[in-house]
Amino acid sequence: MTYEYNSASLKPPFIREFLELWQYRDLLRLLVSNSIKTRYKRSTLGILWTLLNPLLNTLVLSIAFQAIMRFDVENYTIYLLVGLLVWTFFSQTTSHSMNTLIWGSNLLKRIYVPRTIFAVSVVGNGLINYLLSLIPLAIIMLFMRQPFTPALLFLPLAILLLAMFTLGIALFMSTLAVFFVDIVDIYGVLLSALFYLTPIIYPVSVIPDRFLPLINLNPMTTMVSLFRSLIYYGELPALSVTLTAAALAVVSLTVGWWVFTKRVDEFAYRI
Amino acid sequence: MNLLTVSEPKLIEPNGSPIIELSNVSVRYRVPQERIPSLKEYAIRWLKGQINYQEFWALHDIDLEIQGGEVFGIIGPNGAGKSTLLKVVSRVLRPTTGNLRVRGRISPLLELGAGFDPELTGRENVYLNGAILGYSKAEIDECFDQIVEFAGLPEFIDAPVRTYSSGMYARLGFSVATMKRPEILIVDEILGVGDAEFQTKSYERIQRFQGEGTTILLVSHSLDRVKELCARAIWLDHGKIIARGPADQVVDQYLGQVTGVERKRLREASQQPLSPASQWGDQKITLSNICLYDGNGQEQTIFQTGDTLILQMDYLAHQEISSPVFGVAIHRQDGAHVTGPNTALAHFEIPSVAGKGRITFKIPFLPVLEGLYQFSVAATNHEDTEMFDYHDRVYPFRVINRGGKIQEPYGMVTVAGEWSHQKLD
Repeated sequence: MTYEYNSASLKPPFIREFLELWQYRDLLRLLVSNSIKTRYKRSTLGILWTLLNPLLNTLVLSIAFQAIMRFDVENYTIYLLVGLLVWTFFSQTTSHSMNTLIWGSNLLKRIYVPRTIFAVSVVGNGLINYLLSLIPLAIIMLFMRQPFTPALLFLPLAILLLAMFTLGIALFMSTLAVFFVDIVDIYGVLLSALFYLTPIIYPVSVIPDRFLPLINLNPMTTMVSLFRSLIYYGELPALSVTLTAAALAVVSLTVGWWVFTKRVDEFAYRI
Repeated sequence: MNLLTVSEPKLIEPNGSPIIELSNVSVRYRVPQERIPSLKEYAIRWLKGQINYQEFWALHDIDLEIQGGEVFGIIGPNGAGKSTLLKVVSRVLRPTTGNLRVRGRISPLLELGAGFDPELTGRENVYLNGAILGYSKAEIDECFDQIVEFAGLPEFIDAPVRTYSSGMYARLGFSVATMKRPEILIVDEILGVGDAEFQTKSYERIQRFQGEGTTILLVSHSLDRVKELCARAIWLDHGKIIARGPADQVVDQYLGQVTGVERKRLREASQQPLSPASQWGDQKITLSNICLYDGNGQEQTIFQTGDTLILQMDYLAHQEISSPVFGVAIHRQDGAHVTGPNTALAHFEIPSVAGKGRITFKIPFLPVLEGLYQFSVAATNHEDTEMFDYHDRVYPFRVINRGGKIQEPYGMVTVAGEWSHQKLD
């Protein structure tokens, strides 16, 4: 490998950042595995906790909503858990990557590393957590006699689209977070609003017609229904849902990557 | 302790393309006049068109070519732009305008252990830090044993880094940063890494790299170091290159300016009106016009050890005083009282004074070593029971020995002793 750097003949940042990230792929791998290691090293239950946590959460929520709201949903626990896992991946990854970049700025001020590496590693970390939490989901499905259908084979594609969509938002929000400190708080509020605008704890059928457009405009509705088709309904999602999800993933990642890499050289000037 | 003795610095003739090349590099910081940390604030001000930035050029039109294998020095006062320049070269900062061209891998020895994760073990941090520096896993695998060995931490490598002492931390950081010979090494100040033994080891390693062709960029406040190690240097001030060329010349130019500034500052300090805290006495005799001269009779505030120093003071006796005593004292800046001679102690009789007169005190061989010193002057009666006038530590002078005849670094004074040797057998 030759190391040659010439600021006069650089590729556009959009492409350059991608190539740099590839060069630093070993660092990316380490950042992901280290964050998982440090997380599990600290708790006594270790990796078991990732499995237990969504189970307990789902238990609480499903008791609460099934008893109080009396939604007429078959196997509500599974319905809820599928949506909740998608949501957890999205919300944790996006907010965590904002904080990671602010943390990483300490490093960025001292030494050169590709700057998308923080957001990408957080997505990688989120993906591993998501995959791990599929285990308790499978256990519940077995327990509740939910059928496993061939539609599940399309799960990797759904996960890829979700990851692309999430990375795009994460990069976009990280860029904002570097310039404005209060974005982290604003985003927290936005997230909780978005949570209730997404059919996660409730079925779409309970929503009054006049609110439906609002729910349907929400990209997370599309993402959740993609996963719900595959896992809960055990069938391929409608073509429109798949195409919308794919379009969302591509647009989000392109815009997020573009905004981030366009601003990336200013990061070191900001604290 | 002077451990780094690299072979005679040699000027390298430009042979084709330089390894580091900066052309017209400028770096502008835009500092909002007030900090606008929140989006809400920003939106309001943006709508009102009230965002004012204060522009600050940390580097201004820097043109620089550094050849492969050179040891290149960067000197200048704090805030001159030295760190910014290093950040540009190591790609942390993208220049606002101008171009940077670098051929080769850069290893910055600026922030040893930057990016260490205290929760992870030494082993894990070696891989993490190595990857941050751009090394692949295969490269680190290959060097791993050598890194641990060099850092002297084989027993601790699987303990979390948070249990390390700061010395161990820096040693591991240094070992990772220098696991392979980089084409370019950036050294900020002279590393104070670990104990004397490790320092020797690390200097040897840097020396070896240099011998094998590594270009070294050295930023240091130790001008003697720069003179000794570097072939060429630049002097930066306010983001501009003030001088460039052979290191000793650049250092001398810089020193000339620094001492010029200091000379002026010291002279101004000694001409300040006296405050009640620094002057007392009943003023039957008033001292004034205190001046320091060198051996050539030039007014001077900067000396070298061994120089001639002459202090002159004028007095005005408002009434006739018989057998007055005039004295001086020298204190070092830290308060140490170096000496306190006076006319009585020297059996120098001044019979009786009235009106104006002048006292001269000559030190033919100034024995004090490098540092900032202050003269006090005094006039008392013969029995030392009445103080006429006392100026307490108000006339500063500096002793600098760079390039001088006496280079003793230890203690406060030189005794100009003589050594001899004979064999006994």
